[in-house]
Amino acid sequence: MSTRVGFVLRRVLLTIPVLFAMSIFVFLMIRLVPGDPVQTMLGIYATPDRVATIRSELGFDRPLTDQYLMWIGNALHGNLGQDFISHVPLTDLLAQRLPVTLELTALSMILALGLGIPLGVVGAVGPRWAVVFADLLVVGGVSIPSFWLGIMLVLLFAGVLHVLPPAGYVPITTDVLENLRYMILPVLALGAAQLVYILRTTKAAMLTVLGSPYVIFLRAKGISERRIVFVHALRNAAIPIVTVVGIQFGALLGGAIIIESLFAVPGVGQLVVNAIFQRNYPVVQGGVLVIAVIFILVNLTTDLIYGALDPRISGTS
Amino acid sequence: MASSVGTAHQRLGASHAPPLRRLFRQLREPGGVEIFIGGGILAVLVIATVLAPLLVSQDPNAIDALRVLGPPNHAHPFGSDAEGRDVLVRILYSYRVSLSVAVGSTLAAMALSVPLGLLAGYAGGWTDTLLMRPVDSLQAFPALLLAIALIAIIGPGSIVVLLSIAIVHSPILARVIRASVLITREQPYVISARARGRSALGIMFLHVLPNSLGPTLAQASILTAFAIQFQAALSFVGLGTQPPTPELGLMLYDGRDVFTIAPWVEIYPGLALAIAALGFILLGNGISRRLEAGRQR
Repeated sequence: MSTRVGFVLRRVLLTIPVLFAMSIFVFLMIRLVPGDPVQTMLGIYATPDRVATIRSELGFDRPLTDQYLMWIGNALHGNLGQDFISHVPLTDLLAQRLPVTLELTALSMILALGLGIPLGVVGAVGPRWAVVFADLLVVGGVSIPSFWLGIMLVLLFAGVLHVLPPAGYVPITTDVLENLRYMILPVLALGAAQLVYILRTTKAAMLTVLGSPYVIFLRAKGISERRIVFVHALRNAAIPIVTVVGIQFGALLGGAIIIESLFAVPGVGQLVVNAIFQRNYPVVQGGVLVIAVIFILVNLTTDLIYGALDPRISGTS
Repeated sequence: MASSVGTAHQRLGASHAPPLRRLFRQLREPGGVEIFIGGGILAVLVIATVLAPLLVSQDPNAIDALRVLGPPNHAHPFGSDAEGRDVLVRILYSYRVSLSVAVGSTLAAMALSVPLGLLAGYAGGWTDTLLMRPVDSLQAFPALLLAIALIAIIGPGSIVVLLSIAIVHSPILARVIRASVLITREQPYVISARARGRSALGIMFLHVLPNSLGPTLAQASILTAFAIQFQAALSFVGLGTQPPTPELGLMLYDGRDVFTIAPWVEIYPGLALAIAALGFILLGNGISRRLEAGRQR
């Protein structure tokens, strides 16, 4: 048991340098903008006085280490600065936007797992046509860019069939069903690519497990094939699937930036892209920071889950 | 002796076999069909985009007020866009940017990652930790987010996109090459080269690198497919290639407001993207299948 606690502790401690390195990059982001970032933000018509005011407001006139310590200290206290155009605190902006992005990514992952795992199992043990179908789905799904898939879905469901809205968003607190109706197309577009990865991983893991000696032993014991596949093999195939879920969550968060722009979903991704065009650097910085922190924490969680699933990893056996 | 003469003879015979039979033999090898189709797609695309000025007479940016959102017809098989520009012509020229940025980003990523992974894997120990830890921390960012962050700093454009994708893909390639170097460096021929007193640098570049490159090439091909999509996605939100350069993602961006009345402005550029990505994916899958078969032999 103590080795397991040790594993969890070690893994959590290893996250700290990663978070630190990430925070340095995000901190330097604004400062690395070529030329004078404050001047770039305010435009060429800004008076020198105004530039100086904003510069001291952002703390740019102090030494770099002081600036970092101030910034990270504030961030840890939940103060990420403010949108320099609307002067809304970033924490408020993100509190509005983040749940939307998380809903989009979570629903996409649920779709990917819900369809990807069964299709992967069928692709491994199903009839010949199902295996070929699964292989074609993988190659096709990886080749098709998700934002183009999104456009085609809009064309079909909104343009031709008129059954779903082409873009927009209704808060889940206003109307759950309407919220889901608006989410269907973005989730399909974002989830499809992930579905393909889950399918491929499940299929490969199932084939490896089903060829291993203990499955031959189970067969020799006369256990039904159905039980072997669904009880014994799938459980062992879960480890690589969990790993892929962790890695692909990053792809989902990244992909959400594009999909949110396409479907006018007011999430963090759309916030960041719009902020880039407005040269609203504090917002870009805050958005990037929050997404990166979530990604690191999701990776930590998946590592801990697969440590629990596979005792070999946490070194308990 | 006799057997070696025999194999040499057979090998000679093989090279003299009719080209078609040689092709069939290659196709029957593991991954052969994938390499053939993937490579074929890419060859056709490269030839088409290089010879674009000979294949079509129109300028990709030529505006035709009479053909605004014109549907596909005999003269314009893929129709025209909102400015009356021919979609097929623009796609042909778009591949120049799409393929060069994608392949360029992969070459740049390899230039960064191959020496790194080679040194980390071959030297091991502290060198390995020192080199790979910073590389790993790059992976703490979702790839697309990192690229967008870099673009936010430097500003949009094809070169920035190329470099961003290279930076995002380098850690992946560095991991792959390091993993195969770890296996290669324990091979008898490497150990014997070391015993013969060859310099570490000589061993790394003459023995370890050539024998570790296979999996990296397979991965590089797959990453090039992602680079194509990546670049198009960035252009699609306005952060990539800037107008009026013909580029597939930019074509999709231009068409996003009119595609319900003129679907061809979105359908064909998207298909063009998917086909290019498919070419690299098949090629990469084929290479790794062949390598795997080679290992099992």
